[in-house]
Amino acid sequence: MGQGRKGKLNYRCPRCLMREIDMDMLYDQDKDEYYCLRCSFTGNEQEVLRLYKQFRDKYRDRCRRITDF
Amino acid sequence: MNEFYVTIIHRPEMVPEYIQKGTEEGKQENLTRSEVIQESLDIFRTQQQIAHNNGLKTTIQMTYASLFNNEAIAIAKEHHQKYGDEIGSTFLGLQCQEFRNKFKSKELAIWLFSIEDKKKIVDEVFDKFYEVFGFYPTSTGSYYMDAELVNYIKHKYPMIKIAVATCWEEGPKAYRNANNSWYTIFDGSPWNPWIPSKYNIHCPAMNKQDDIGIVAIPHLSRDLLAVFDGPGSYYGTHPQNILRGMVYEDHEIPYFKNLVDQYRSMSKYNRGYAYNMMYVGPGWMSKSGRWEADYNFLLKSYKEGMEYYGQLKNKGEAIIVTMSEFADIYRQYHHYTQPECALWRDILYGSRRQQFWYVDPWMRFCLDMNEGGAMIDLRPYIARLVRPCGVGTKYLQDASYPFLIQSFYRAGYFTHYAGEGAVKSCKFTYEAEEIDLCTCRTIASFSEIGNTRVITLEPVKIEFNNLTISIQSIFRLIEGTGEIEIVRRIIDTTNPDAEIIADEYITACYGTTEYPEDLAGIKLTLKGSSGTESINYAYKCREAEIPNIITSEAIIPQVDTRLTMRTDADNAIGYFREGFAFSPMYTIGIKNTIKGKGELRTWAKVEKAS
Repeated sequence: MGQGRKGKLNYRCPRCLMREIDMDMLYDQDKDEYYCLRCSFTGNEQEVLRLYKQFRDKYRDRCRRITDF
Repeated sequence: MNEFYVTIIHRPEMVPEYIQKGTEEGKQENLTRSEVIQESLDIFRTQQQIAHNNGLKTTIQMTYASLFNNEAIAIAKEHHQKYGDEIGSTFLGLQCQEFRNKFKSKELAIWLFSIEDKKKIVDEVFDKFYEVFGFYPTSTGSYYMDAELVNYIKHKYPMIKIAVATCWEEGPKAYRNANNSWYTIFDGSPWNPWIPSKYNIHCPAMNKQDDIGIVAIPHLSRDLLAVFDGPGSYYGTHPQNILRGMVYEDHEIPYFKNLVDQYRSMSKYNRGYAYNMMYVGPGWMSKSGRWEADYNFLLKSYKEGMEYYGQLKNKGEAIIVTMSEFADIYRQYHHYTQPECALWRDILYGSRRQQFWYVDPWMRFCLDMNEGGAMIDLRPYIARLVRPCGVGTKYLQDASYPFLIQSFYRAGYFTHYAGEGAVKSCKFTYEAEEIDLCTCRTIASFSEIGNTRVITLEPVKIEFNNLTISIQSIFRLIEGTGEIEIVRRIIDTTNPDAEIIADEYITACYGTTEYPEDLAGIKLTLKGSSGTESINYAYKCREAEIPNIITSEAIIPQVDTRLTMRTDADNAIGYFREGFAFSPMYTIGIKNTIKGKGELRTWAKVEKAS
């Protein structure tokens, strides 16, 4: 197994993010996957981005401009 | 008055943690690495330029490290002259080779040094500032400054008039969010500017004698609802917060403007005054990106934020001031007992949820309309707890102001099927059924009559087996009394003769974290017109009640606080309930039988016990 390195961006573990823990992941070049030191998450960039989208779903007003205060 | 004040604060950190960490991956620490310092300066210059392009003046809070950098000094001097930017000082960004040589420490947080070291650092930083600029700053700050530190600064450098003194609800949640490695543990302050007490920085001063001598502002303007239950660093008027919380879609961030606008709307609850701030260093705007955002997105987020402040300014809807200018304005318009109120609404999750936040020199509390107006946070500021932090103190990193109620740390209405949680609410009992207002969602409105702030909740319907009633709750806050008047009124009933028991209660504890503290020694007392009952807390599950109650009371010596309830009702029953080790809470309450369109009126008060 190769040495884990920082990825091209500072991707946080999406599973830890869902429990509101900011945990940077390491990137395994040989397997082209990110992995978490804490929660055992592994996944490629596509999987990470898919889960980020899921994380954002809780913000139902994230696209809405609210002006009626 | 209808004025929205904004302060924009930039700090030229030379060796910000984020960039340094990134640059150092696989390398040994080097505080003089030129690429880090140069990138930081470039970002600082960019941030300044963005502000100025939008017609906004800033407060430049010089870090200690930047006082050794000719370029940073030259920018500050030039922008002071050209744009009217204030040159202040911050205790963030201490670490640099000069600091390391002088203080032999890698500590980065001013509030965590011993008081002796704090004083030496203050003198060193301010003397260096004077040497560079030829004057002392009038504004300063950090993520947190305890009262002992500010008292020293004010004594030695009386020209200081304002400081970034705390970071709202940056406590156990922020610590956990940062994988238990970010020691900014200081829940419990006001969310908007205040004049702190000499005894504890979190507490607004009661009067001139109590006045610490500065105006305090929080480190960021945060989302009062989202941050109370989520990481502080996700939801505030700092673009990095919002990017960190991923509150965006397709690189669009309407949430930032929504947040600014909600802060603007606070003028409705504060006699026409509202405040908002942006306080950034360079670390988050690194060329290599931050979190999942690349540099272009970081830049866009900052530009759009500044553009919005600029638009507001141009429309005459925002007044951009430096920190020291704001201090003068705040003192001019604010009197000591004047509360800060916020009827805050959800702008994130798509619910209609509201919370009402209140701060005055006596207390801070929060009512949650999602729980029928239940009190979910209560901090007894009036106790003026002396709690210095840092090395050599009892509390060390735990700089939070203690709560009596924090429903999210200590369960609140919903416990895991055993025991009780910390919350203040009211229960209604008819025959064998009991309904807690915590289960009745509602919304609230705010009004002001003279010196009384009034929170009026929309009525909620309670359906018993063969009786339906509508209950309205009203909270009245008379300025300068430290008391909360609570009215629970039946405004409609299907049976005017039905006798209902209204039971107003406070279930509380004390602490600063999620974990229980020892309640032994707390004294629960009932004073009635015909006798008194009292126990010392010993986890024995004891209960008592007496008729014709005058006061139900808990004295919590651990936080030097007396918590009392009283009523104007004749023949009301007062009671207390001791907890047990699996339910480490105490409850005091007042109940009375009402019918028709009757009501129960009670008052809750916090006082200093000693």
